[in-house]
Amino acid sequence: MTFLTAEFLLSTSIILYMIAALAALVLLKNQKLCALLSSLICIVASLFGLAAAFKQLLFENTTMALRLWQSNIPFLDVILSMDALSAFFVLCLSILTLCVSIYSIGYMKHYYGIRNVGLFYFLYAGFIVSMFLVFTAGNAVIFFVVWEIMAVVSYFLVSFESDEPETQRAGILYIVMTHIGTAFLLIAFMLMFRYTGSFDFSISSSALPENIRDIMFVLFLVGFGTKAGIIPFHIWLPYAHPAAPSNISALMSGIMIKTAIYGLLRFVFIYLGVETTWWGIAILVIGMVSAVLGVAYAYIEQNIKRMLAYSSIENMGIIFIGIGVSFMAFSEGLELVGALALTAALLHTVNHTLFKGSLFLCAGSVHYAVHSKNMEDMGGLIKRMPITALFFLGGALSVSAMVPFNGFISEWLTYQSIFAGIIPGQAAENILLVFAVAALALSGALAAACFIKLFGISFLGLARSEQAASANEVPLSMSLGSGILTALCLLSGIFPLYALGLINRVVLQLANRPILDQLQGNIFFLYSPLEIHGNAISPQIIVLTLVIIAAGALFIERIIFGKEKRREFGTWDCGYEALNPRMQYSAAAFSKPIRVVFKMMFRSSRDLKIKGPLTYHPDAMEYSVTTESLFEKYVYDPVSRMVTAFSRKAKFMIQTGSVHTYLLYIFITTLILMFYNRVIG
Amino acid sequence: MENYFDVLSALILFSSFVLVANKRIISYIRTFQLQACLIALTAGIMGMNSFLKEGKIDILVVCAIILILKVYYIPRLLRKTYAGVEYKVEKDFFLNIPILIFICCFLVLFAYFSVPTIGGTMAGNVNIQVVNSFSLVLIGFFFMISRKKAIGQIVGFLVIENGIFITAMFSTHGMPFIVDVGVFIDLITAVLIMGIMVTRINDQFETIDINQLKNLRG
Repeated sequence: MTFLTAEFLLSTSIILYMIAALAALVLLKNQKLCALLSSLICIVASLFGLAAAFKQLLFENTTMALRLWQSNIPFLDVILSMDALSAFFVLCLSILTLCVSIYSIGYMKHYYGIRNVGLFYFLYAGFIVSMFLVFTAGNAVIFFVVWEIMAVVSYFLVSFESDEPETQRAGILYIVMTHIGTAFLLIAFMLMFRYTGSFDFSISSSALPENIRDIMFVLFLVGFGTKAGIIPFHIWLPYAHPAAPSNISALMSGIMIKTAIYGLLRFVFIYLGVETTWWGIAILVIGMVSAVLGVAYAYIEQNIKRMLAYSSIENMGIIFIGIGVSFMAFSEGLELVGALALTAALLHTVNHTLFKGSLFLCAGSVHYAVHSKNMEDMGGLIKRMPITALFFLGGALSVSAMVPFNGFISEWLTYQSIFAGIIPGQAAENILLVFAVAALALSGALAAACFIKLFGISFLGLARSEQAASANEVPLSMSLGSGILTALCLLSGIFPLYALGLINRVVLQLANRPILDQLQGNIFFLYSPLEIHGNAISPQIIVLTLVIIAAGALFIERIIFGKEKRREFGTWDCGYEALNPRMQYSAAAFSKPIRVVFKMMFRSSRDLKIKGPLTYHPDAMEYSVTTESLFEKYVYDPVSRMVTAFSRKAKFMIQTGSVHTYLLYIFITTLILMFYNRVIG
Repeated sequence: MENYFDVLSALILFSSFVLVANKRIISYIRTFQLQACLIALTAGIMGMNSFLKEGKIDILVVCAIILILKVYYIPRLLRKTYAGVEYKVEKDFFLNIPILIFICCFLVLFAYFSVPTIGGTMAGNVNIQVVNSFSLVLIGFFFMISRKKAIGQIVGFLVIENGIFITAMFSTHGMPFIVDVGVFIDLITAVLIMGIMVTRINDQFETIDINQLKNLRG
């Protein structure tokens, strides 16, 4: 099997994605065939990608370089390279693509005849291939180009349902924010070229002066942070994710925002190297703020997909906390803690890909069946859509960090790494780390509450709308897509050492410090590194215990109460005629306590409208709650007003419409540049 | 040999001054023709020189192309375009001619001042040919700004092109043939398109005064 090299698998995968894109365009007329064929090709391509990633991650020790095209024009060599870090992200991408492609076969059915499905698949495959290339780009020029392609293609996908004004607004906001982020990256790459004379990021960065490193770090942090959707650069995320079709939301939230993590590790960790402590502190603080605020905003949200989007902000925050701790530890020479925190961050990355992918796909299924994204229109779906409800519950448990799902493992490791980072003698940093633990705990609790609300309001109780009452279970392919992801969540939660084994290779490459043998007790136990505390958990035994307790409880119940006797009566309804769905907790009511506690942050205001002539015996009452986003009100709105005002002025003063004035601008600029060249140059 | 080139470059520069001083459209097409002749002559001398010394005919071919294209075809095209649009006697420039000439003198001085620092083959030396031909670029640009009618912009553009071409000639004594041919193809396309645009502008606004395009602004 010598021909099955990583190079071969990688290029086959990329070519197959491109074929899928072209096939979609060719079969534009026949939507059904187009959707089926493109999905199948994408599935095969993702299998190849999976194989390439595994091969590279497990069996190769050298960086794979694939020179696709070499030209005499400087900096225009198309080189793909894949080391362990790239392979890890390609792995995440391929798993998610596999499931999303399966899911799309069914999901795209409700677009037949309404939207251009062929175009969708063209963009879909293009989106995947652009992310693939982001992870494998061999130099900064290629990276930048594919990064931009990814941004533009995803913009078109976000605004796929283009006739809704909300979608248009979300699309514009997204493209503007992502371009601002890209601008920062561009400056960083230019600085890189200015001082090293090369766009190659695999060479040493020792030519960069100290202050330029700091500037580049900030540029990378803002540039990648915008894509990651961390606070305060997050505003596009809660709009773009709900606007996009659900399979695209899953891809965007599952893997696209992870390109930022990849970029941060690739350019800051590997290229710049971590020497300054404040870098780690900056990342940590941003991560803490994102984790807490992200989930706090998620909690009060009524729109399922927007809630998931805010939850993505929270999870990116958790990943950032891990990376921040690892940066701090490495800069202080605590290699073991650094490696542990990095492992935790990477594990949370892959876990978030799995469970957020699953959750978004399930949210898509719900939308597919109920035709609404608002929780207040749902309820009782567990009876109508049991399979989707099961998978959704799995994803929700995972994101809430419940044993035995995978979210627990990565958050546990993050906690361990923070605790291990607290070392006597560094008061300021220790206080910060304690706050980080508090932030992580708070966000974990709120996340659990948040998903109780999401699951309870949407899936339990009585149906709140006609559509919810008559919803049907989704097609098999959709269940399969989300089911695989949820199953992987459970499996990697029970057997975390396999996932950790893969991540260990990445950490080995990044930090040259193997962590796996420290974490591995035997097959049952997952240790916090022995050098540090040596406390351990065993997910398998926890699962076993849960099963035993449940079985035991059932058994004892049986012994005490004997054979089951069932009596069926209606719930006591306080003497009203009948229970109706409006007697249930609503989503807004459920989140009220938190809304009151964090009143300062949400700035919530309520509006009660009483209809009818008599105040005490109204015909109808209408109650609505509005919250306002502080960041939008105090940061983004003023900036956007300023830009608009400036543009309007510029239109009258600078952009006069006269060809002569424009020529004069060019002429004067030329003269000034020549003068500058003569005097300064 | 260099003396001939010095004189020719000065003559070409002078022709651009003549161009700026021209009042009527018909006369600046004619001046452009004269300038093209001078450039063709320069290319011819350079071409003969390289033919006798190295046996290459590249530059002679370029010279022939210039004769056909710039001396014959483009002026003819411009005249045709001009004949197609309705002629009104109007002041065609923003500033009066003495001031235009005065500014052009300053541009030449500026070129003399700034060219020597441009890196490359003759960094540090003042090469009078390059200064003259570079001034031609600036004057061509300035000409575009100073004229109102669209044909003025086309001629200005052609003068800039002449300037760039002759700068290249003087500083390299013969560019790669393929580059020259590419430039000529660009040029002919540009002139054709601009000719069509002028006719269109005339149809739309009943004038070729491009100041009227201000109304197109959103």
